[in-house]
Amino acid sequence: MLQRILTHSNKTDLVIDLAELISGFLLVGFLWVHMFFVASVLVGPQAFNQVPKFLEAYYLAQIGIPAVIVLILAHMVLAGRRIPNRLQEMKMIWKHSRLLMHYDTWTWVFQVITGVAIGILAAAHIWTVVSRWTINMSISAERVTQSPYFIFYIILLICGEYHVGIGLYRIGVKWGWFKRQKLSKVLDVITLAIIAMGIVSLFVIKSHAGVTGGGGQ
Amino acid sequence: MSVPNPYITDVLVIGAGLAGERTAIEAASCGCDVTILSIVPPRRSHSTGAQGGMQASLGNTAMGRGDNTDIHFTDTVKGSDWGCDQDVARLFANLAPVAVRQLSYWGCPWNRVVAGRKTLPDGREIEELVEYEGLIMARDFGGTAKWRTCYTADGTGHTVQYTMDTVVLKMGITVHDRVETLSLIHDGEKCYGAICRCLRTGKLMVYLAKVTVIATGGYGRLYGASTNAIINEGTGMFIALNTGIVPLGNMEAVQFHPTAIVPSWVLITEGARGDGGYLLDKDLHRFMPDYEPAKKELASRDVVSRRMMHHMRIGKGVDSKYGLHLWLDIRHLGRKHIYTNLREIAKVCQDFNGIDPAKELIPVRPTQHYSMGGVRTNIDGAAYGLNGLYAAGEASCWDMHGFNRLGGNSLAETTVMGMVVGRKAAEYVAGTTFIYKESMVRDHIKRQQERINNLIAGRNGKENIYKLKKIMEDALLEKVFIFRNGKDLQEAVNTLREVYQRSLKAGLMSDGQGANPELGAALRLPGMLRLALCIAYGALQRTESRGSHSREDYPKRDDANWLKRTLAYWPEEGDLPVLKYEPVKITELPPGERGYGETAAVKK
Amino acid sequence: MALRTLKLEIFRYNPNVSGDKPQMQEYILEEEPDMTLFMALTRLREEQDPSLIFDFSCRAAVCGSCAMLINGRPKLACKTMTKDLRKKITLMPLPVFKLIGDLSVDTGSWFRAMNKRLEAWVHTNKEFDPDAQEGRMDNDLALRIYESERCIECGCCVAGCGTAILREEFISSAGLNRLARFFIDPRDERSPDQYFEVIGNEYGTFGCVGLMACDDLCPMEIPLQQQLAFVRRKMLVAGLTGSGR
Ligand SMILES: Cc1cc2nc3c(=O)[nH]c(=O)nc-3n(C[C@H](O)[C@H](O)[C@H](O)COP(=O)(O)OP(=O)(O)OC[C@H]3O[C@@H](n4cnc5c(N)ncnc54)[C@H](O)[C@@H]3O)c2cc1C
Ligand code: HEM
Ligand code: HEM
Ligand code: SF4
Ligand code: F3S
Ligand code: FES
Repeated sequence: MLQRILTHSNKTDLVIDLAELISGFLLVGFLWVHMFFVASVLVGPQAFNQVPKFLEAYYLAQIGIPAVIVLILAHMVLAGRRIPNRLQEMKMIWKHSRLLMHYDTWTWVFQVITGVAIGILAAAHIWTVVSRWTINMSISAERVTQSPYFIFYIILLICGEYHVGIGLYRIGVKWGWFKRQKLSKVLDVITLAIIAMGIVSLFVIKSHAGVTGGGGQ
Repeated sequence: MSVPNPYITDVLVIGAGLAGERTAIEAASCGCDVTILSIVPPRRSHSTGAQGGMQASLGNTAMGRGDNTDIHFTDTVKGSDWGCDQDVARLFANLAPVAVRQLSYWGCPWNRVVAGRKTLPDGREIEELVEYEGLIMARDFGGTAKWRTCYTADGTGHTVQYTMDTVVLKMGITVHDRVETLSLIHDGEKCYGAICRCLRTGKLMVYLAKVTVIATGGYGRLYGASTNAIINEGTGMFIALNTGIVPLGNMEAVQFHPTAIVPSWVLITEGARGDGGYLLDKDLHRFMPDYEPAKKELASRDVVSRRMMHHMRIGKGVDSKYGLHLWLDIRHLGRKHIYTNLREIAKVCQDFNGIDPAKELIPVRPTQHYSMGGVRTNIDGAAYGLNGLYAAGEASCWDMHGFNRLGGNSLAETTVMGMVVGRKAAEYVAGTTFIYKESMVRDHIKRQQERINNLIAGRNGKENIYKLKKIMEDALLEKVFIFRNGKDLQEAVNTLREVYQRSLKAGLMSDGQGANPELGAALRLPGMLRLALCIAYGALQRTESRGSHSREDYPKRDDANWLKRTLAYWPEEGDLPVLKYEPVKITELPPGERGYGETAAVKK
Repeated sequence: MALRTLKLEIFRYNPNVSGDKPQMQEYILEEEPDMTLFMALTRLREEQDPSLIFDFSCRAAVCGSCAMLINGRPKLACKTMTKDLRKKITLMPLPVFKLIGDLSVDTGSWFRAMNKRLEAWVHTNKEFDPDAQEGRMDNDLALRIYESERCIECGCCVAGCGTAILREEFISSAGLNRLARFFIDPRDERSPDQYFEVIGNEYGTFGCVGLMACDDLCPMEIPLQQQLAFVRRKMLVAGLTGSGR
């Protein structure tokens, strides 16, 4: 143990922790913006179709999408180092959580689980979207109408928002700018609101299936 | 029998409370190799439980202005009811300010003076001066002419012990915790160390040292109800007594505190009464003004305790499964006051009785609190009777407390005495060569090993130790308590003698393997009974009232016959201590009125 | 209050007795008024099973000896009243720490090693002058130091922390809180750089993932979240501006 501590670089640990903080913040920002983009469908299909155009016009899509992918990969490495990697460790933490029955410990366990889930689901999601680039109402509606996709999105939505909500809470708590109880309440409300918004958006997208005509324009 | 390898050191300090650690620090800074032994990790010693404070005449606060070592000395001697050695009290009063300041230098977060005007709870206006701002603050404690008790919020003992332990850590002093000393190794002239039991494995251990220091704290747990930690069983005192050569001083001098919560006996600090709490009886009548019209609940500790006991005796106590008690009422102080100024009391009420003191009454009762008596030493802390044996802290009878210790003088004593004893021990180490006879060491080990073997095998009998212990606790609590009289004391002595004999026939219910707690208790019991006999028998013989020793049949202090200290020796055979007496040293202040307590009350 | 018959399930294992195996043992005990777990366990030992090993010292919630898992949660047994618990009570020793026997664990050695590692004492080059007045300090600062210093080293926070359970090198919130106490103490002359050397890493401040069990479980109600965040921010600044490795 001593050897490990002595040969250890504290600066590196600091940089990693800072990078985790920054990547965390950026990803939260991305996901919430992303959800609002999708929710633009609530304003109307035109608004929805306007988003990708806007993104492409300013090259935000071309730079943004790869940047997000890199960010996610970085985050998987940074935050992922916390995932109990040996089976025994997983067992230990599971047993500990069950015994302790402590709220914040459970949320962390679910943060890890949802993180892993997102890793798989979001990869598939990004692949399906990007491989049929561009985005518009009809393509989206076509995808969302298929029931496996619909359920897929609901799961991804809940995992994503939960993960991000808890993630932001954890950042706030670790760096300590807010009182825990208050922060947690505010974030719970935001998370539930966004999930609700997401579900409504999905239904609205679905309702547009066939309405705006098929195929890309 | 396998003989354990001896562990060798210059100074062996038994006890890691404040007295033990301070002694160790001093000896180590004089260049000695020091080892500390303790039943519990140092930071779990009883010293951490002291909340109130530590006396030193710094005179920084408005209410302490003009204080000096002379006034502290006078308060201490008066407090002792002239039972102390005045040269010791003088040395103590002079060194206390140094001790407190050194603790500050080491990092103790003493509360500090904040300049400005304030109104005290009793309505007095005071002003703290800017020139003293940031210096160590002090609070009021019973029996002192000035505010002199330095404190850290509600955790003085805790912070002082933690500060002390950081120095022990920094100096790299060896500490062996979970080790219990069973006996001293000696040849009738010199002490060579101690035989111990490892509380992790149950194995015997041998420590050899040029100097052995007993700093094992008080014996509160001989009494069925005590504010002390449960590890305070007086072990250090009886291992000295068991030598047959080292006497214990003034064992009959036992301090009681008026308010411990029932039934866990956790201390409710004086703050509750200081801020205006009432004592009520079973009819919810406030009775203290009937007895003490002037001071009411604020009379000194021993007076309030005696009045409470008397009131319960005349049938006014509240009956409960845990015996009679009275009520402490602080409801009228208001929720806000209780949960800010008396927070620690509120916490005790919630944690140990689940009551809300802003709405409910607190069950309280007088309880054993402090042992003035202990291993008799000279002014250097050297024990009578054996060379190379010292004692410090509550375990000792250095004798600056006489028959009544002032609140805040005990933490101060541990630290000051530690400074003195550590230095004297180092001087002794420098002037001695260490030669011991292997056969002597082997004899001592054998004796302890045999005791253990006999207990495990049940060779001496099958007496249940917990039952015997209970009889002892009750006898002291009922007959050697706040009010004493010849008849009760004689009965207590008779009971204790009988139980002592039975304790020699104790056997175990369990198998005694490993760190078995029952075996530990069985090993301690006879020694504890010897201490109980020293207390009861000493009290029986002392036919006067002095300080906390209050005889109903001899209600007056008797300086003509009793201005002397009891020395209790335990003879090789028999079941009673041999009592001898020595004069107290009076160097400055001739015996007089204390100015408070019963004498003062009678005068008015 | 109605008194009940309590059923206590207690972890039993004495590593010093050869052939002993870890197991849960059941005891039946009549509840008493205002009974704490200290009283309950003492009665069990004195009346039913004198070999039962557990630790108490102050029995007043000030010494930190008696932490154990009470129905799964680390708590001080001496200030836990049976009337606040259900009829069936499970008692287990704290995890993370070395088991001594039954409910007793070696928190003392753990904390001693931790304090050594942190060099948790005042580092100063000044000499003590017995004749001089004490150094001055602002009372608010003294109270702030006391706020951290109140820790009784009971180990509840350590045993409740998932990170401490996974990584034995983790200094834990008790350690970080202890360090905060010296960091704000002007008598300690260590530079932020020196503190960063000790805890500005994965085993120290950056190892904490914010599980907050410590904050919820501390029997002294030390504001651990604020203390941890304070140390983290200070170490961030120290690490970015300092010359540390
Ligand atoms: C509730 C309460 C409040 C108090 N408040 C105050 C106050 O405000 N101000 C004040 O001045 N005084 C106060 N006192 C008194 C004061 O706390 C004690 O007198 C003082 O702390 C004793 O210190 P010590 O070092 O002598 O012994 P302790 O702190 O009791 O230490 C004894 C040490 O000896 C060890 N030990 C014991 N037996 C053995 C053995 N056989 N083998 C090995 N080790 C052993 C123990 O493990 C421990 O480390 C209070 C007392 C009580 C009960
Ligand atoms: C790719 C799969 C992902 C995995 C495996 C993963 C895993 C994790 C884990 C284990 C943590 C906890 C880290 C810790 O406690 O220190 C975490 C934190 C976090 N995650 Fe993820 N995550 C993933 C994707 C995402 C995504 C897509 C987002 C946002 C859009 C995100 C946002 C966050 C945030 C904000 C935190 C808190 C960071 C912190 O505490 O410093 N994660 N993630
Ligand atoms: C950077 C690449 C990404 C792009 C281009 C993108 C694009 C889209 C688009 C176009 C939709 C609308 C539905 C559809 O067309 O199928 C959508 C929905 C969705 N996306 Fe993404 N996405 C990206 C990354 C992510 C990530 C990383 C997450 C997860 C954490 C995510 C979670 C979701 C969810 C949950 C929905 C459903 C929306 C709703 O419920 O309202 N996306 N995304
Ligand atoms: S911080 Fe609290 S829980 Fe942790 S050891 Fe200290 S007192 Fe116990
Ligand atoms: S529980 Fe552990 S992970 Fe951090 S917030 Fe407390 S130390
Ligand atoms: S016994 Fe001291 S904290 Fe419980």
